[in-house]
Amino acid sequence: MMDLTDRQWVSYAVTHPFAGFEDMRWKKAGSVKIATAVVCLWFVVAILYDRLYGFQFYSVPDKIFNVIPYFVQTIVIFLTWTVGNWSVCTLLDGEGTMRNIYIYSAYALIPYVASLYLETFLSHFLIRDEYIFLQVIAYLGQGWTLLLLFSAIRSVHQYCFLKTIAAICLTVTAMAVMLFLLVMLLLLFEQVYVFAYSIYTEIAYRLKV
Amino acid sequence: MLLKQIAIAALAAALSLFLSGSVTAAAEEHYDVYHYDCWSEPVPSQAGYTAERAVSGNDLGVGNFSEPADIFRDSHDRIYIVDAGNDRIVVTDAKLETVEKVFDTFTMPDGSETTLNSPQGVYVAPETELLYIADYDNSRVLISDYEGSVQREITKPDPGLFSQDLTFLPQKVIADKAGNVYVVLGNITTGAAIFSSDGAFQGYYGANTVQTTPEVIVDHFWKMFSTDEMRSRQARTVPSGITNFDLDDEGFIYTCSQSTSQTKDTVKKLNAAGVDLFSPLGITWGDIRSYYDTNTNTNYQPRICDIEISDDKSINCLDMTTGRVFQYDKEGSLLFIFGSKSDQLGGFTEVTALESCGESIYVLDKQKNTVTVFTETAFGSLVHEATELYNAGYYEEALTPWYQVLQYDGNYVRAYEGIAAGLLVKGDQEGSMRYAKLADLNSRYNKAFEGYRQEWLSEHFTLAAAVVVLIAVTLTGLHFYRKKHRRHITKADTAERSEQP
Repeated sequence: MMDLTDRQWVSYAVTHPFAGFEDMRWKKAGSVKIATAVVCLWFVVAILYDRLYGFQFYSVPDKIFNVIPYFVQTIVIFLTWTVGNWSVCTLLDGEGTMRNIYIYSAYALIPYVASLYLETFLSHFLIRDEYIFLQVIAYLGQGWTLLLLFSAIRSVHQYCFLKTIAAICLTVTAMAVMLFLLVMLLLLFEQVYVFAYSIYTEIAYRLKV
Repeated sequence: MLLKQIAIAALAAALSLFLSGSVTAAAEEHYDVYHYDCWSEPVPSQAGYTAERAVSGNDLGVGNFSEPADIFRDSHDRIYIVDAGNDRIVVTDAKLETVEKVFDTFTMPDGSETTLNSPQGVYVAPETELLYIADYDNSRVLISDYEGSVQREITKPDPGLFSQDLTFLPQKVIADKAGNVYVVLGNITTGAAIFSSDGAFQGYYGANTVQTTPEVIVDHFWKMFSTDEMRSRQARTVPSGITNFDLDDEGFIYTCSQSTSQTKDTVKKLNAAGVDLFSPLGITWGDIRSYYDTNTNTNYQPRICDIEISDDKSINCLDMTTGRVFQYDKEGSLLFIFGSKSDQLGGFTEVTALESCGESIYVLDKQKNTVTVFTETAFGSLVHEATELYNAGYYEEALTPWYQVLQYDGNYVRAYEGIAAGLLVKGDQEGSMRYAKLADLNSRYNKAFEGYRQEWLSEHFTLAAAVVVLIAVTLTGLHFYRKKHRRHITKADTAERSEQP
């Protein structure tokens, strides 16, 4: 039973919010390739959603475009979520491996990513009076993804309801700490670079004189 | 033969010169003429007004002005210049060429003579033809007829109504159709004082509100813990007082407030109840970005020191900081920016007041002691024509002038908006969508797109319906095929399962 291909597992997990990830865990299913593809598609649609939304709803300040914020808001956030969750849950008797957390979380994102694509596409055919349709799509996508994400964390670590909530809260805290440290690291490395560069210029001057 | 060719060539050259001359009619200004684009960034633009000449008191033959404070045009197109330093009011014709009258002494109702003392403002009521003079240092408002005989005098109100600790220094004055007199008083932040037609003090009108800056919030926080004695020693938070005002022919009062610390309530359009009709529009009056001076390391906020509604209902605002005039249409959209701080013609040292007269705008400079006359350029008259048609709802008729405006200045964002509206009325939804996009106006694009979509659907309904049906049929087909396939699998599964135990 449940001999599904990788692709069939995707649709099974997404359409069965309560049992899908449990079954995946039982069958040791899930593919890193598909998970990575989902995260990449999220990155792409984050840009599309901001840039190519129907003009009747939003106008885009065309003068500035910077890809870094989109990258941080999607891929970096997702990776910190994975690492943060893994580091929190190994301490809380979670059974999930980093690979599984990565795969299950990415699968849980699918409804949200799909809703972004659908919304961006439909925004070119709807007018402002029909904005409610886009809102419904957005709410459905977000709600479904939240449900799936919860179920994914519960299944991957074999937690009870309350422990899952606690784990998610702790993960968010861990993410904040990690991002803070990342920024700090970047700033420190910049100082190290400036230091090294000033030593280099100093030596270069001495050699010349 | 050769002669004929030369003649033709000369004619062509002359013609091209003439044509090019008529196209580049806007004069060269000595300052940067700019306008704001749809992203609120300043971009170079064509001049709507150009400085023609500067008129001093000497030119008029009445001796130089000294610190002139106000300029006013009455319903007969006479220009009143309030010459504060010389304690007089000079009346000239509409062109500022000949002096018609100089008011320096007035006859009081009891027959005695009286003089002005540093007058700051003048107003002439179109209904009664009475002069209202804000006689600053005499602490009174004089109401006089054109012959100079005073009808009434408004002085500091009775102690019961008006605190006697307050000074009574009238700066500007206007009177509405009912004869109520509105007076802007120095050192008063609670609005303009209203006096009824018989001179009784009625109260205040159109007070500004305090802007909630971080400083104000912090102050408020500390005041919660301080005692009454401490509070009495702290600086009070008061709104900025009104600097100047004007009345339009529908009876709305426009006020302006120059403040160095407050960016709120700089320009207001007040109805009879004192409600600001401009505040929901969220317009930034004057320069959108404050001007940073590297020499003094300070940011200069615009300080609107005078406001004036011209006959075509344009709103002219005078910015004291930069010496610029900002002209808006009646909806509050920016039309032109002109003037500067400099020594040349069209530049100012310290502006105090402005007034419009037909196609001209007169700007008064307190330190140069001159009135500078700005006249409308060809571009300016084109924009005014288009704006007037557009604001009256003649979108289609405004199309031609808007297209011409774009030939002068492709950055003029209002033209794109106007063309988008005109094309929509004309039925060209696609063109309207294109121009709405260029003007960066989502709501107008939305309207055009709605029509475009409807038209497209009614034209291609069969095609659209066919595509929808085709997609539906394919999806159901696929669904059934998969279901059959899956049942096959599950059957095999169950068979396998039943064998296991």
